[in-house]
Amino acid sequence: MAAVAIGKGRFAGVPVKQVTKSNFAAAIQQIKADIEAAEFVAISTRKTGDFSSSSLRHPWRRVLPIDTSETAYLKSKLAAETFELFQFAVCPFSIRGSKVVAIPYNFHLFPRDELTLGMPSYSFACQTSFLASMAREGFDFNACIYDGLSYLSRVEETKARERKSGSWMLTVTSSQNPSVADSIFKERIKSRVTHWRKACKDTSQAKDGSLVQSLRKLVLGGEFYGSRPGMSVDICSEKQAQLVFEIVEQISDDLVPILIPDNGVQPKAVRVVLTSSEEDKMVLLTELQSFEDEQNLKFRGFRQVIDLISSSHKTIVSHNCLHDFTFIHEKFLGPLPETVAEFMCSLRLLFSNVVDLNHLLKEFGPLRKAKNIPSALSYLKRHYFVPIELEVPEQAEDGNKSHGNNVLKLVFLFAKLNMLLKNAPSSRSALEQAKPIEDYANIFNPASLTLHEPGDDDETGWQIDSTRRVSTDKILFLWGFGGATSAVELKHCLLQIHPVFVEDFDVRFVDKTCAVIVFETLGSAETLLKDMHSVDTVSGVLRDMVVEGLRAAGYEAYKKVCRLGLWEGDLADSLEIALAETVEDLCSLSKTDTNENRWKNEMMIDLNDL
Amino acid sequence: MALSGFRAFGSRAITQTITSAQYRHLHRFLSSAASTTTSGGSGVSVAVKKVTLSNFCSVLDDLRIRIREADFVAIDLEMTGVTSAPWRDSFEFDRSDVRYLKVKDSAEKFAVVQFGLCTFRWDACQGSFIAHPLNFYIFPRKVLSVEGPTDEFLCQTTSISFLAKYQFDFNACIHEGISYLSKTQEEEALQNLCSAYENALLGFSSESEEYVEIPAVRTADVFFTERMKIRFHEWRENVLKYPEDPILEGNDCGHNVDFQMVFFKMHPAIMLNGFTFHQLKLIQLVLRKYFKDLLYLCVSGENCSSQKLVVYTDSEEDRASLMSFIIGPLPSSMEEFALSVNKILPHIIDTKHLISSNNFIQYLMKKKKKSLSSAFSLLCPQLSSTSQNLASTRSFVKVDVQADELGSSSWNSGAKHEAGFDAFMTGCVFAQACSHLGIKFEQDSSIMDLARNDNLKSYINILYPSWNSGTVIDLRTGSESPVSSYKRKYLKIEYANIALIWGFSSKLKPNDIEECLCKVFGTASLISVFFLDRTAALIQFNKMELVNDFLVLKDMLEKDDGPVSVLHPLAKLLEGGNTRAADYDTYRDICSSSASTSKILFADQAEAIGIRWKTKIRPACKETSELDVLKDSVSEHQSNKNDSEKQSQHQFSFEEMLNSL
Repeated sequence: MAAVAIGKGRFAGVPVKQVTKSNFAAAIQQIKADIEAAEFVAISTRKTGDFSSSSLRHPWRRVLPIDTSETAYLKSKLAAETFELFQFAVCPFSIRGSKVVAIPYNFHLFPRDELTLGMPSYSFACQTSFLASMAREGFDFNACIYDGLSYLSRVEETKARERKSGSWMLTVTSSQNPSVADSIFKERIKSRVTHWRKACKDTSQAKDGSLVQSLRKLVLGGEFYGSRPGMSVDICSEKQAQLVFEIVEQISDDLVPILIPDNGVQPKAVRVVLTSSEEDKMVLLTELQSFEDEQNLKFRGFRQVIDLISSSHKTIVSHNCLHDFTFIHEKFLGPLPETVAEFMCSLRLLFSNVVDLNHLLKEFGPLRKAKNIPSALSYLKRHYFVPIELEVPEQAEDGNKSHGNNVLKLVFLFAKLNMLLKNAPSSRSALEQAKPIEDYANIFNPASLTLHEPGDDDETGWQIDSTRRVSTDKILFLWGFGGATSAVELKHCLLQIHPVFVEDFDVRFVDKTCAVIVFETLGSAETLLKDMHSVDTVSGVLRDMVVEGLRAAGYEAYKKVCRLGLWEGDLADSLEIALAETVEDLCSLSKTDTNENRWKNEMMIDLNDL
Repeated sequence: MALSGFRAFGSRAITQTITSAQYRHLHRFLSSAASTTTSGGSGVSVAVKKVTLSNFCSVLDDLRIRIREADFVAIDLEMTGVTSAPWRDSFEFDRSDVRYLKVKDSAEKFAVVQFGLCTFRWDACQGSFIAHPLNFYIFPRKVLSVEGPTDEFLCQTTSISFLAKYQFDFNACIHEGISYLSKTQEEEALQNLCSAYENALLGFSSESEEYVEIPAVRTADVFFTERMKIRFHEWRENVLKYPEDPILEGNDCGHNVDFQMVFFKMHPAIMLNGFTFHQLKLIQLVLRKYFKDLLYLCVSGENCSSQKLVVYTDSEEDRASLMSFIIGPLPSSMEEFALSVNKILPHIIDTKHLISSNNFIQYLMKKKKKSLSSAFSLLCPQLSSTSQNLASTRSFVKVDVQADELGSSSWNSGAKHEAGFDAFMTGCVFAQACSHLGIKFEQDSSIMDLARNDNLKSYINILYPSWNSGTVIDLRTGSESPVSSYKRKYLKIEYANIALIWGFSSKLKPNDIEECLCKVFGTASLISVFFLDRTAALIQFNKMELVNDFLVLKDMLEKDDGPVSVLHPLAKLLEGGNTRAADYDTYRDICSSSASTSKILFADQAEAIGIRWKTKIRPACKETSELDVLKDSVSEHQSNKNDSEKQSQHQFSFEEMLNSL
C-alpha cells in the first residue's frame, strides 16, 4: 500500500477517503478494522453554524470569556439544537515513536428523513457566513445533500422502532410452563405446518392442473416467498410468535420462520418458508441478514460509526470538545440534559476517554493563547523541534479528495504535544512535570473558537503571563447607559458615578446594548447594585443615570438568561426579562441553590481571554 | 439579483450617477457574467438561462429592456422550507390573522434560493409570445463590509430533500448565488455607512497618502483624469462644506450640463451626462484611486408604478417571502401587507386563482387538482409534449422560447420545480387562460394593456392567502372574502366558540378527548376537536359561553385536590398536570411568537415563549363574578385570591415577553 508521508505539515494534497451513501457499507467494515488496530481516534466536524462566527446580530450568543462551564454548556446546547452536522471526519491513528500512522475518513452527512417519521430533524438552521466560508474552501454541498448519510440518535431509533418494527428475527427462549391454551395452539400449528410441508415436498402433485394447484393453495394457506414456498401463520401476541418459532425449529431444519411486521407495535403473522437444501437455507438467511442490515442502515445510518468508536473504548481526540460533543450527544445519543454535570455523565456512557486538544493547549503554557490548530502548529514549528512524521496510507480508490483533512492537522498537533509533554524535562521551556496524556482526558475547555481564516497565524499575543482568574461575584452587567459607544468612553463615564469605581476595574462590551464590568475586589459589585436600587437615598450623577435608565445585574441574572433560553434579542432586553421573572421563579431558585454553592469554586473566569 | 431585476420594472433609461455615499457596497448584486442552462424535462425542451454572480450584471442590462418591452412577467420562487413546525401548517381553523402570522413566520425564517422570472412579449409578426425565462440563484451572503440580509436561515429537511430530488444545484447557489438587501435593509446599511464615513473624514488626510498609479496610456486620458480629479475634489469639498444644501449654496457644479448635481437616495450625487464609455471608465478609475468616499454607480430609474403585469403563482408564502426579501420586514397584519405589496407591484395575477375560478378553464382541466405542472400539461399541450398530432379543436397560444447565446454551453434543465421553468409554465398557463377568457392577442397587438383589460379585471390582484383557507384576498383593499368553489371540511367555524388546549398526556387519543368533553358538556355542545399536533388541540363548542365554562371548570378542578377533582370526568384531560387551556387569541399569540428556533411541538413552543400559567380565563367578562361564586361553592381554597393575583401577574409577564420578543 502506498503511503503519503507528511513531514512538515502540508496537508492540502493528502487524500482523505470520502464516504457517502454509495460506499458506506464497504467503508464501515474498513473503518471498523482500522479503529480496532488504532491507538487513538481523532474526530472533527463541519456544521451549518455554531454561533462562534462573528454575528453582528447576536454577539453574546457565542461562548464568551465571561462564561462559566455552565453557561458555556447552555450556549453550546443551543447551537447543537439549532444547527446540523454536514461532515464528520474520523481518523483512527497510532503513534509509533516519531511516526504517526493515520487513516482519515470523511463522512458526508445530511439529516434526510429516510423513514418519513420527521426524524432526525424537521428543520435546521444555517449560518450564512458559515456556509459561505465552507464554499470558499470548496465544500461540495451537492455531495452532502444528495448522497450524505442520514442517521437517528439512539433515542430516536427507539421511537422509530416502536412505530416501524423492522426485525424479522426472534430470539427463541424456551417457554417455561406453557399454559393449556399455549399447548393447544402449539399442537394446532404443528399439525398445520407439518401437513403443509409434506404437501409441498410431495412432488407427485406437480403434474396436477392449475385449478387443483390453486385450490390446494387456498386450502393449505400456502403462498410463495420469493421463489420458495411459504405459509403464513396468523398470531395475536409476541408470545404466540415465540411459540411458532419454537415449533418450526422442532419440525425440520429446512423451515425458516420469518416475523412479518405490522406497522403497529405488534407483529401480525409469522411466515414459514420451506427451503430446498442446506445451501438454499443459507442463501435465504444471508438475504434476510442483508435486508436487516439495510434496515439498520436506514435506522442508524452514520450512527453506526459513532457506535463503533464508542464500543472500541479508544481514546478520542478532538479540538473544542464541548462544542463537538454537545452536537454528538444531541444528534447521536439523544436530547441534551439541562446541566453540564448531567451532560458529562451521559456522555461518559458513550465515550469513556476524551482528550480535548483545547484543554491540552491551555495546559501547555506557551500555547495558552493559541486560538486554533494552525496557529498552535506554527508556534510549535517555530519554537520547538518535534520530529513527527505523519504517514497516511493511500487508499486505492478514486475521488479521494482532501475534504476533511482538518482532522489530520489535529492528529499532527496532538502527536507533537504528546511528545513534548512526555519529554517535558528535557525540553527547554518551563513545562510542568510530565503527566501521561490520559490525565488530560475528560476535561473540556469551553473556548470561543473563531472561524478559520486563511493566514490566521499572526504573531501577536504570545506573551505568557500568570492566569488571572475572577470570581463571578466580581462581575456586573450594565446597560441603559445611553450614548457611550466604546469601552473607554464608558469607563470614563463610570469613574464619576460611584466610589466603587475608584479602584481598578475592567469594562467590556458584550453586545451593543450591554457591558460587563469586572471589579478587583469582592463586594464592589454588590455595593453598586445596592446603591442603584435605593436611588432615593443616593444623589448625584448615579441618581441621574439611574433615572435616565441605567440598569445593572449580577452574574445570577446572566445565568438565568441562559437557563431560561432567552436568546432572542439583545442581552439587555433578555436581562430585563430575567430580572422581571424573579418573583415567580423563587421556588426553582431555592431548589438550585445547593447546586450553585457546590460549583462556586469552579466558576472562575480566565480574564486573560477577555 | 432578482431584486434589481425586479426593481428594473418600468425603468426608463439608465443613467450614470455618482453618489458620495458608499452606495455601491449596498448595491445588492454587484458583479456577474454569462452562463446559461438547458432544459429537457418530460419531452419539453426549454432553455432557461442560469443567472449567478458571474453573469448577473450583463443579464440585468438585458433584463431591463426585456421587462420594459414585456406584456407580462411571470415569477416563481424556490425556498428552503415551507413551515418551521408541523403546527405552523395552514389549517382550516386558522382565522385570517393567524393564517397571515403563519405565512409571515415562514417568510421570515426560510431563505429564497432560486428566483425564476420569465418575460413574455407578444410578437405580432410571428403571432406568438416570445418567452425569455431566467433562473436566478440566490444566496443571502454578506457582501463586502455590509451585513448580509440575514445571518441565519432555516432549512426544512424535507424541502431540501425535495429540491435535491429535482437536482437543485446547491453548489451553484451557495458558491455563486447572488445576494441582496431589502429596501429597508439597504437604507439602514446606507445610514451605517454614512456615519462610518463621517468618522473616517476626521482622518482623511492620512488616508489619502496612498497613491496609486493610473495606467493612462494616452495624453488626452492623462488630462482628462486630472481634470476630473480636480472637479470631483471641488465638488466633494463643497458637499462637505454645505452638507445641508450643497446644490443651492454650492458653486458652479450644479450648472454644468454634463456634471449635473442631483440627490440620490438623500445623498448628494453627480449625474454624468454625455461622457463616452472610455471616459466613464477613466472616471471610475479616478474615483477608485483618489476618492474612497465617492462611488461610481449605474442606477436604473426609480421604480415608477409600472404598467407591466406581474403574473404570479404559488402561494401566499411565495409572496410573503418575496416581500420580506425585497421590500423589508413584513408588516404585522394582512391588510398592511396587501396594501404594501399593491404599492410595489400594482398588478398581480394569481394563476391558481385564475384557473380555478373560471368555469370554462375548470371544464378543460376536468376539475383536476390544480398543480402548476398539471395545469400546464392540460392547458398547453402544444408546449408540454413533443407530439405534434394535436386534435386542435381549441386554439393554442403560441409561445416561443428565446435563447440568446445559443452557442453557449450551460443551460438549466428546465425541469419541474426549478424556478425559471416554473415561471415559464406559469406564464404559458396565463397566456392560454387569457385566450380562453376571450382576449385576442392577434388583434390588439399594438398596445396590449392587460392591466386594463375588461376580461381580466375580476382576476387582477385577487390572491389565495393559502390553499385551504377557502378565501381570496383583494390586494387593493386588503380585505378577504370567501370563494364559493372551495369545499370546506369543517363547515362553520366560530372563532369565539373555540378553546385551545395543549400539554395534555400523550396517551390521550383524539377520541378520548372528545369523549371526555362530551361527558362534561353534552354531545350536542361539542362541534369538533381539531389537533394542531399531538400536543395541542382546538375545541369548538356550539356556544361562546361554553369556552369560558370550560376554562373556569378546568381552573377550578386544578385548584381543588379533593375527591371531586379526581372523580370529575374532565380529570382525564388534566392527567399529568401539564394541561393548559386558553381561548383562541392565545393560539394567535403563540403563532405570532417568532423565536428563531421554532419548537417542533406546540406545547414546547408555548413553554419557550414563557407561558407559565395553566388556564387563561378571559378577563373582564361578566363570568368573572360567576367564577368566584363557583370557586367558593366547590372549594374553600384559601389561596384563591393569591392564585388569581399570581396568575394575572403571569399573564402580564407573558404579554411583556411577547412584546420584547
